[in-house]
Amino acid sequence: MKFAYYPGCAVHSSAPEYGLSCKAISSILGIELIEIPKWNCCSSIDAVYANQPLTSIGLAARNLSLAENTKMDIIVLCGACLLTLSRANKMLHEDSELKEKVNMLLTNAGLNYNGSIKVRHYLDVLTNDVGFSKVSEHVKVPLKGLKVAPYYGCLLTRPPGVTNFDDPEHPKSMDKLIEALGGQSIKYEEKCCGASLVLTDELVMMEMTKRSLLSAKNAGADCIIAACPLCQFNLDAKQSDIQSHYDIKIDLPVLYFTQLIGIAFGLSPKELGLDKNCVSPKRLLKQFQNA
Amino acid sequence: MKTETIHEITPKIQDSSFFTEVRKIAERTNFMDCMQCGVCSGSCPARFAMDFSPMQIIKMIQLGLKNIVLSSSTIWICAQCQTCLTRCPREVNIPLLMSSLKNIAIRENIPCKIELKPKFHKTFSEIIKKYGRMHEPELKIKLIKKTSPQDVFHNATLALRLLRKGKIKLLPPKTDQIPDILVLFETASKEEQK
Repeated sequence: MKFAYYPGCAVHSSAPEYGLSCKAISSILGIELIEIPKWNCCSSIDAVYANQPLTSIGLAARNLSLAENTKMDIIVLCGACLLTLSRANKMLHEDSELKEKVNMLLTNAGLNYNGSIKVRHYLDVLTNDVGFSKVSEHVKVPLKGLKVAPYYGCLLTRPPGVTNFDDPEHPKSMDKLIEALGGQSIKYEEKCCGASLVLTDELVMMEMTKRSLLSAKNAGADCIIAACPLCQFNLDAKQSDIQSHYDIKIDLPVLYFTQLIGIAFGLSPKELGLDKNCVSPKRLLKQFQNA
Repeated sequence: MKTETIHEITPKIQDSSFFTEVRKIAERTNFMDCMQCGVCSGSCPARFAMDFSPMQIIKMIQLGLKNIVLSSSTIWICAQCQTCLTRCPREVNIPLLMSSLKNIAIRENIPCKIELKPKFHKTFSEIIKKYGRMHEPELKIKLIKKTSPQDVFHNATLALRLLRKGKIKLLPPKTDQIPDILVLFETASKEEQK
């Protein structure tokens, strides 16, 4: 299966391990990723919208249109890209006046969007197109005894009617994935990480992220898996700041779900960028390394 | 949890055109359908840091309390997690409503309780206009409180941590797509000012 691959800005900068591990497992699972040439920032939920609403929809639509030219659905890795692109897609479907205005913006670049493509998250494709039984066929190192806290993030399944691939209140896809890899998914209280508040209201963001980290820790998790580079950044790169601010010890590795799949597939830490996670996953790796 | 009280609603603080103004730019959010059930506010993971609950914000729009709404911390603290919209029985798109309120506050230069927020949106847009994609270090550097040595130090240690992990791209994204992004921004701004 082939997709128009939209890595998003974070994968090209602060989340290289997400892109690396995604590519590594895709070649095993037969998912062909063809990067959309000259893609631009999705406009990141309301980062641009708050300043210039129409521009922000134009930015999202430009990507939709580039993908439409390739006649493939978009596959994304980031929760914020997923919401921004699929919400714009939905607005353009429902509002013909808006669509006309936005197409006028695209004309200058020789583009036009008819509305024929879908925006899918990698986890959605894994769940509904590849299927977990196919995933488990490739498992070489079952993650036996590993307790994993699935961090779905807010935007993967919410709001209903936009991304539409898992239950918005009680998502199950990551839990099933963890089981397919031989691990054990644990129940804990997952809350919003605060997303871009990390840049503007750090204390609020740390309070929000701390709740999920502690809840997962107290539920006995060995690691967390995330499916969005913004969530992963707050949970992983900011974890040491949270520890020192609250004077607590968490020390919980936060992997991308694609990295966890790669470990179970027996891929090397290097191929999965496991040296790039801020909280070291070395202890986990020792347990499950093929060698 | 912070809670602010409005002691008296007098015609003096009411702006009857505010409701119409919000309705014009946020009609698709269905905010007129709010029945004040409070599910949004009970579910909001950032409520603890807001001065007014999302439910109060909607009521205040309906009452025309423009200044209180636009100078509230609530509209800036909303992290766009979509929990409220997911649970709202009337499908009010509160996250999008908050974005539209920010848009009015930015346009009208309303003083913001969270000093970095308007700057975040402004800088974000400028960077995208320039490169077509985000350049994270540039955004971060512009948002460091240079008057606070503690903030400068704190961010320097984070930067070192990320540099060691190869998570900071010092050079901005290649700019071969600038011309059409720039035109998109300019055409859209003209259209927005109409």
